[in-house]
Order: sequence, then structure tokens, then C-alpha cells
Amino acid sequence: MGNTPSQFTEEELRDYEDLTYFTRKEILLAHEKFKAISPEKVNHNKNAKLSMNKMMSTSELSCNPFADRICQVFSSSGDASGDCTFEDYLDMMSVFSDQAPKSVKAEHAFRIFDFDGDDMLSKNDLKQVIQRLIGFNNQFTDLDMEQLIQNILEEADLDDDGSLSFAEFEHVIDKSSDFTNSFRIRL
Amino acid sequence: MSGGKEKKSIRGSKAQGWEEAGSEFYQESYPGDIDNIQRDPSKLATLLPSKQRVATNRRGRQTHQEFKTTRRRNSTLTATRTFRRGSQYQEIQVATLPDLSENLINESQTWEEIREIKAMPVHMAQKRELKNQLQNATKLRLQGFEQIKWKRRKAWQKIMRKWSEYLTKMELWRSSLKKIEGNFGTGVVAYFVFLRWLMVLNLLIFTIIFMFIVLPQLILNEPKDLPCDLNAQPELKPRWISNVNNSDNGYYEDTWYYPNTTVQCCREAYNNEIKHNRSDFSILHIVQGTGFMEKTFLFYGMYTNQIYGYDPLANSQQEQDKTNKLSSSSSDVQHNSPFMYSQKDDNFSIDEKHNSSSVMMSALLGFNDNSTSTLAADLTNFTTWREFFNNLDIYYDLPLAYIIVTIVCYLYTLVAIVKAVAHEFKDRLVEGEGQFYQYCNLIFCGWDFSLHNEKSAQIKHKALYNEIQSLMHIRRYEFERNNRTRDIMIKLYLIRMLINFFVCVILVICGVVIFFLFNVSFMRLEPNFETVTRYRSFNVFMSKVKKLTSGEETTTDVDAQFDILFFEFLPYVAIVIFNLLVPILFNYLIQFEQYSPLFVIKMNLFRTIGLRLSSLAVLLSRFYYLITTRNEDSENIECHNVRYGTPQCWETFIGQQFFKLFIVDFVTHIFVTFFINFPRALIARNMNNAFSKFIEIDFELSKHVLDVVYSQTLCWLGTFYAPFLPAIAAVLIFFMFYIKKFACLVNSKPSAILYRASRSNSLFMIILLFSFTIAIIPVVYAIAEVIPSRSCGPFSGLNSVWERAIVAFNKLPVVLRDIIFFFGTSSFAIPCFIVLILFLYYYYSVSAANKHMVQVLKNQLVLEGHDKQFLLNRLSLFIKQQQEYQKRIQRQFYDQASTTTNSQQSQSQGINIDTIPPPLLPRAPRSETGSNDRSERSSVEIKHHTRMSKDIGDI
Repeated sequence: MGNTPSQFTEEELRDYEDLTYFTRKEILLAHEKFKAISPEKVNHNKNAKLSMNKMMSTSELSCNPFADRICQVFSSSGDASGDCTFEDYLDMMSVFSDQAPKSVKAEHAFRIFDFDGDDMLSKNDLKQVIQRLIGFNNQFTDLDMEQLIQNILEEADLDDDGSLSFAEFEHVIDKSSDFTNSFRIRL
Repeated sequence: MSGGKEKKSIRGSKAQGWEEAGSEFYQESYPGDIDNIQRDPSKLATLLPSKQRVATNRRGRQTHQEFKTTRRRNSTLTATRTFRRGSQYQEIQVATLPDLSENLINESQTWEEIREIKAMPVHMAQKRELKNQLQNATKLRLQGFEQIKWKRRKAWQKIMRKWSEYLTKMELWRSSLKKIEGNFGTGVVAYFVFLRWLMVLNLLIFTIIFMFIVLPQLILNEPKDLPCDLNAQPELKPRWISNVNNSDNGYYEDTWYYPNTTVQCCREAYNNEIKHNRSDFSILHIVQGTGFMEKTFLFYGMYTNQIYGYDPLANSQQEQDKTNKLSSSSSDVQHNSPFMYSQKDDNFSIDEKHNSSSVMMSALLGFNDNSTSTLAADLTNFTTWREFFNNLDIYYDLPLAYIIVTIVCYLYTLVAIVKAVAHEFKDRLVEGEGQFYQYCNLIFCGWDFSLHNEKSAQIKHKALYNEIQSLMHIRRYEFERNNRTRDIMIKLYLIRMLINFFVCVILVICGVVIFFLFNVSFMRLEPNFETVTRYRSFNVFMSKVKKLTSGEETTTDVDAQFDILFFEFLPYVAIVIFNLLVPILFNYLIQFEQYSPLFVIKMNLFRTIGLRLSSLAVLLSRFYYLITTRNEDSENIECHNVRYGTPQCWETFIGQQFFKLFIVDFVTHIFVTFFINFPRALIARNMNNAFSKFIEIDFELSKHVLDVVYSQTLCWLGTFYAPFLPAIAAVLIFFMFYIKKFACLVNSKPSAILYRASRSNSLFMIILLFSFTIAIIPVVYAIAEVIPSRSCGPFSGLNSVWERAIVAFNKLPVVLRDIIFFFGTSSFAIPCFIVLILFLYYYYSVSAANKHMVQVLKNQLVLEGHDKQFLLNRLSLFIKQQQEYQKRIQRQFYDQASTTTNSQQSQSQGINIDTIPPPLLPRAPRSETGSNDRSERSSVEIKHHTRMSKDIGDI
């Protein structure tokens, strides 16, 4: 143990290699980064659970308006705390990496945008997404917001049920060439 | 439901909230939740399979063994097949289900499945569990060939992984890119990736050139060519120029004048010239590409026209024998009779040339003092030489290689660009069909997850806000535009026309100024432009310049040198300055035209490209004029037109000009970035008032793209004449990366315009393709039409560069030649043309049909959606009624037995409807095209509905 890169056994590394889109080097790099968030804790236990606030302080997530959602989605603790272990972090970076296919990214994006977790992007979800997107310094009037959501639903809600299902969401994503580029964090 | 328990045990940790939401929920607790559903029918809709997240569902339902035993095999097979195509991930998940009932999986399938686990949206612990399960499951060992195949695939996978690891290690500028991306977002980083791409492209092209042109020239021994025979015809003797204004400094003695000479003599003269006058070393020479630089392989002129491993001396003798045999023409014309023959007759037919092509091609390489003396020796044993080479028969034809490599390089570039463009274009098409998705794109793909700079995040928020705002108000804008009164419209159109006219005038003025400056500088550098060659030593220049500028004897050498430098670079500096300043003017003018913001960018870009290309066009036409004037007196074949100042080796001259322009361009970038924009940025940062707003610099992507594309265009234009230009371009782009990085990170603030990675990528590529097409035209023309200079380069003495290729073609075996020739005939071309048109029409109609189909399916999808809504409402209403009915019955205790069973039945049926797992339904194979996808999806839904309506009917 200690500071050497071999905090992992060969077996673990092979598992990680098989189960993420990373190569061994990148996995170790990811761990370095994870360690940098809270060195003592991670040195003590390589798979320590870090609080969401700690996670959100990393440069990758600090400016992201969806940082808390990302933590919550990838957290394995199962509640809304958003605490992440290294494995969660690795999962996160793997999904955000270049190698991850669009479908995987889309699935996670859907969950990030699905604030209430009902597997549908309802009007409320959309509203939150938009608000986070334009920042809290900027405001749309209620009328504009309503109009905007209406426009989105007009475009994407194929069955007119007032919210977007995953299938509909995926459909939109499939047609967007920007998505893979923007839904990406370089390790 | 025995599978339910199994699944629970598989899942181990059941606490993971998000996953249960869908699948678990209605599988196990549906009956209890029926009250909820009654209250809110729309809730019921969320339980429909089509509303579930596909992957979650598929994993969730592992309960239906009956189907799987048969289906599973198929799905696994399709999964592996699709996987190799490398596109589908969703249905593979079907295959990755750990199916404990199915024990017939073999090793390779397990392996595939393990590899697909990573695509699942579950936590690491679960993934690991799945993997262990798959690994521990009993599986069939593969036998024989299958085993080998699997092993091979595994090994291949391993190699690929190692390779990708290696590549990421090799990836240039990784951290720089991350930093830029973090600060400026993906659109800007796409520009830097584009820079890298260009650099690699240039390097590759240079590698090809180096391997096949430079390297042979370096390592192979140049065969000695025939000596310049001045005795051949009396009047062909060179004359010393007795210069009119003969200066007393004797430099003119070096200048030879060949009134009518052989190619050998021209080359000899050029080599002499170079040897004697181009040996001085000076910094100036490095930036100008003159002096000793001219002697290097940097430029066209130094490449030989010899075929390696082929002795022209021996062959000339051979040829002579032949000609003697054929026609004992003139006995006094000794061993160079074939040369004279070729010289005399300019309309020498190709066939004849083919016969004596060996000699034609092996025109004299360079003056060799010994050659005359060794000639005798050579002649004595030429038979052995000839035999030696005839037996060896290995040779390297550099001139031919020069042509082929040039073609290969341009083709490679074209393919690379077109590939990139096509890729972007496909994306564009897919996207373009859905202009409907502009809001969704903005919302769901708007945020750059890679941003990690507080300030740029703020700007991004603002930019998104503006973008959404403008998108929302676009209707308002259009409305406004349509409501402009007639007077205003007329005024606006007048303004636009005026400004367009003004822009044209500016372009013309730029062109004229460049032309004029070029002439001025040429006149200055060529005092007697009319009578003497351009090439001479620097001392001559100096003396001339001295005389011309003032006549004062006091001017120092340094002054004169600076003078020369100034005039040498005058036109190029002018071009670069125009490129810098005129776009600012355009930017200012476009304000008055009141275009929409997006169109402003396009229009500006278009005009700037026009400016840059027009200045290049002027330059090229000036060169052309210079080169082709010698054709005027074709009677008098000389090495070069002395009277009009045609350079001795015009190819090298042009190479030098592009080299200079390239250097000037690069130096300007450095200058502007570090000495103008950097202080500006510093001031802006420290002032913090209204004025700082004014001088702050946005990182305007289109401008920077143009900079790079422009220098790349120069590189393409010059590559033929300066084979090292791609290497220089690669090196300069390497530095350019850092310059632009500095310009981006230090000098500029993030732009308020949203640059989308895909959009900017296609912008780069389209501009690049456009410039490439423009650049290729003069090059092709020069290769096909312009007469190469006689004194240097691989193609001296030919009528055009392309002639060399024709000669080589004629050397091919007759059968092959006929076949290739056949491709050129109309009997091939016309049927081919027709077939192509048929294909084109076929694909056109297919795409039209697909488009129609997409529309139809879309409508169908909407209808299905409505139907579903309707049916669900009916269903929930029905359930409600049933329950009320039940309650009433229960209250009344009337005919208990029969009604309760009925309702239970109906309930269980209701559950059935919703728990029909997707594996039961045929899985829609997700294909590349959206239409198929939709059709499948809707067909699933149709089936689903029919089933549902049947159930309802049963009830």
C-alpha cells in the first residue's frame, strides 16, 4: 500500500480494464486524480467514499451545473447524498470518456436530466435543466420558459404525453452530432 | 415466477434506487399499486415497455426462460455479428444477461458478453458480480476451428488495446487540449485538433516525398550525363555577354549567354552558375531561399533528370549505333546525334520519342569537368557497361517518381479531406433533416461537460441564454423583417449593393497594388530586367542597387542589403498586411448591411477568403506572365528568356517565392500575436473600464481558421516546386499550435458566440476543401501545360511535365497500354457514364423513398401515440369501473363467487399486459438509418397494441 501506483491487485486492474472503457494507464491516472481530491482518505483506503461536496470541488465538476446530479447518478450509495467511491468515479469517467459509445452516454445523460427519477423527463425536469443551463443569473420570464418547454416537447415528444421517455430522448440524441462531443470530460 | 427470485439473488445489493424504479416496481408491486394508477391514468403510461429505459428493462426481465432457450442463441449470434460491425450496443445487452438456465454458452460467447458489460449503466460492484457470474458459469469449450477463431479474435483485441494505449501515450498536446477545452469549450478545441490533423497530414506527405524523391537523390549515385557538346553545331556556341553598360567589376564574365543550346548545356550553365555564385552564406539567404539555399534539395532545381542505374553515356552510344544503322545521316554529327535530332524538331512525335526516350530522358545532369576526358575511357569499355546495366536492369526513374509522388500526395490529401468532409456531411445530413431538433439540441447538448473554468462557465451560461433567447425570438425577427416598409427595404438594398460594390473595389485595389508592388520590386532587383538574367551573385545586386538608389558611393553594404531585403519582401509584406487590415474594414462595413448574426459570420468569411485568394491569384498570374514570355520567340531556343528576365530556373524561383510568402506569413502571426494582441490584452486586463471592453479580443474562430488554411494553401501551391515545403509547413504548424494557444489562452477571452464542435469542424473542412480545389488548379495547369525550364529540374527539355508521364506510359507493355487506353475511349466511357447515371438515379430514388418512408412512419408513430393514450385512458377507466362494480357487489354481497373471479381474472390480465417483457417482443434491431429504427419500433408498438386491445376485448 501507500503511494505506489500498485494500490490495486492485478486482479482488480484486470476487472477494471474489462469493465470500463479505460486502459490500465488511464485507470491508474484516474486513481491519481481521485487521490488528489482527498489524499489522506484515499491513501488510507483506496476505495474510500468521498462526499459529494468533495467530488464537486474537482476542477472537472466545479463549474458543471449538473455536478450534483452527476454525483448522484453515479453514486453507488443509493440515496441522494451523491457520495462516490473510486469505483463510482471510475464509472463516471469511463462514461464521459471518448471511447464510450453514444448510447451509453445517452442513457446516463437521461438519468442526469431526470431529476425526480421517474424515468420520464417531465416538464419540471426540463425546467430545471434549462434553468441550470442558462445559469441562475439569467432568467426567462415564465411565459418564455413555458414557450420554450412547449417548443422542446413539440420537437421531441412524439406521442404527445407531455413528457419525454427514454426512447424519445435517445431519438433526439441519435440525431445530434454534438452530443458525443459535449458530453465528454477528458481524463 | 421462479425467475424473480433468481434475479433477486443475482442482484445482491438491492439498495440501488434508480434501477428498481422501473422494472422491479411493476413486476412485483403492481397489484398493490393499482389504486395509484386509477387515480392517475398517465402513471400507467409510464409503465409501458416503450416508456422504459431500454437497457434497464432488458436486464430487469430475466424471468422468461421458455423463450430464451430458443431465442437466446439467436440473439447472441446477432449480438456477436453486430458487434463486429462495431455499432450496436443495445441489443448486445440481451446477450449479456447472465442466464443461468442456459448452460450451453461457449467460451467465446462468454468472452463477448464480459466485454459488453462495460456498456451497462450499473455500478462497478454489479458489473463485477456479473462478470464473475459469467466467468464461473459452466460453459462449453470451443472445439477445433472455432477455438482458433476465438483465440485469434482475443489476440487481435489485445493488440488493439495495446495499440490504443500506445496511441494515447503518443497523443500530442493532450494536456494542452484539455486546458483549452476547459477554458474555451469543445468548439475551440476542435480548431486545435484540426491544427494537429493538418500537421500530421503534412508530415505524412513529406514522408512520402522524402522516401521517394529526396532519399534516392541523396543516396544513389547520379549517373554521369553526356557532356555539353558545344561543337555540335557551330552557331550553338555560347557567347560571352558583352554587356552594354559593362561595369568594371568583371562580374559579368560569369554570365553566359546561350543563343540556341542543348538541354545539357543549359543544365551545365545553371550548375556552373549555382556553383560559383551561390556559395556565400548569409542569414538573408535562409529567409529568402536564395544563395546557398538554392543549392540544397529544398527546391525543384536540384533534382536530377537522370534515371538511376542507367548510364546515358553508354546509351547514347547505343542510340547512335541504332541511328547510324537506321539512317546514316550525317557522319560529322558524332555521338550526340539523337540529341540534335530531338532538339531540332520540336514537334517530335511521341512514338519517336519512345524509341529514343532513354536518351531524351537522360539529358545532361551537370557539368563535369572530367566527363570529356573520361569519355574516351568510357567509350572503350562501354560495351561492358551496357551489358552490366542490361543484365542488371534495375533502375530508379526519378523524374517519373517525381510525377507519381506529386500525384499520390495530392490524391492522398484529397482523400483525407474528402473523408473528413464526408464524415461531417453525414452528421450534417442526419441533423439537417431534423431542423426540428434545434431546441432539443440546444438544451440537451448545449452544455460542454468539459468546461472547468469559472469565468468561461459564466460566459457559456450567458451564451446559451442568448442563443435560446434569439432562437425564441427568431420569429419575431422574421416578423420584423417582413414588416419593413418599402422605403426602408429599398434603402437597405441600396446600402448592401453599395457595400458589395465597395468590397469589390477594395479587392481590385488590393490586386492592383500587389501587382504594382511586385513589378516595382522586380524592377528594382532586376535593374536591366530587359537584358540580363535574374540570377547573379549578391554583389551584382548590390552594385546595381547602389547605382539605382542614389549613385552615392557612400552607401554601405548593409544598407544595400536591407534595401534588397525590403524589395524582395515588399509584395509579400503587402499581401500579409492586406490580409490583416482589410478584414477589419469588412467587419466594419458589414454592420450597415443588417444581416442576421449567423449570416454576418458567413459573409465575412466569404469576403476574407475572396481577398486572400485574389491576392494569390494576382501573384500567380504575375509569375505566369514572367515564365511564359519566352515562348514569344520560339525560333530561338534558349535556356531561358534573358530579355524578359525569366529566371534561369523558374520552378526554383517560384518555390522560393512561396517559401518567402510562407515565412512572411508565419512571422506576421508571431508579430501580431506577441507584439500587438498581447499588449492589447494586458492593457485590457488592467484597465477595467469601458475602454478595455473596446480593445479586448474575442477568440474569433473563423479568422484563425483562415490563417491556417491560408498557409496550407500556400504549401499546396508550392509543394511541387519546393518538395520540402510540407516539412516546413509541418514544423511551422507545430509552432503555430503554441502561438495560437497563446493567442487563445492569454490574449483572448472566450467568445460570446456559441461554437459547436460539429459545426466548426465542418466549417474547417469545407474551407480546406475549397482552398484545396483552388490551389490544385494552377498546379495542374503548370504540370500539364507550362514548359519546364531547360536548365534545371527533373523535366528539363520536355514540353511539359506531363509529357514524362506519357513517355512512361508508352513504355508499358502493349497489352496494358491498350487496356488503359481503352478506358479513355468513348466505347468505354459512354456505357460507364450511363451505368453511373443509372446508379445515381437508383440511389436518388432510394433516398427519396426513404425520406417519404420516414415521414410516413413519423406520422404513424404519432398516431400510435394517440392510440395508446386513448387505449390507456379507456383501460384505466375500465379498471375503475370494474373496481367500483366490485365494491358495489361486495357491499351488496350479491352473487359473490362469479364476479370476484371475473375481476381477478381481469386484473391478472391487466398485469400481463404490462409485464410483457421486451424479450418476448421481437427486438427492434437498431439500424443505422432512422427510418428502419422507427419502423421497427412502431411495429413493436403495433403488436403491443393489438395484444392490448385483444386483452381488453377478452375482458
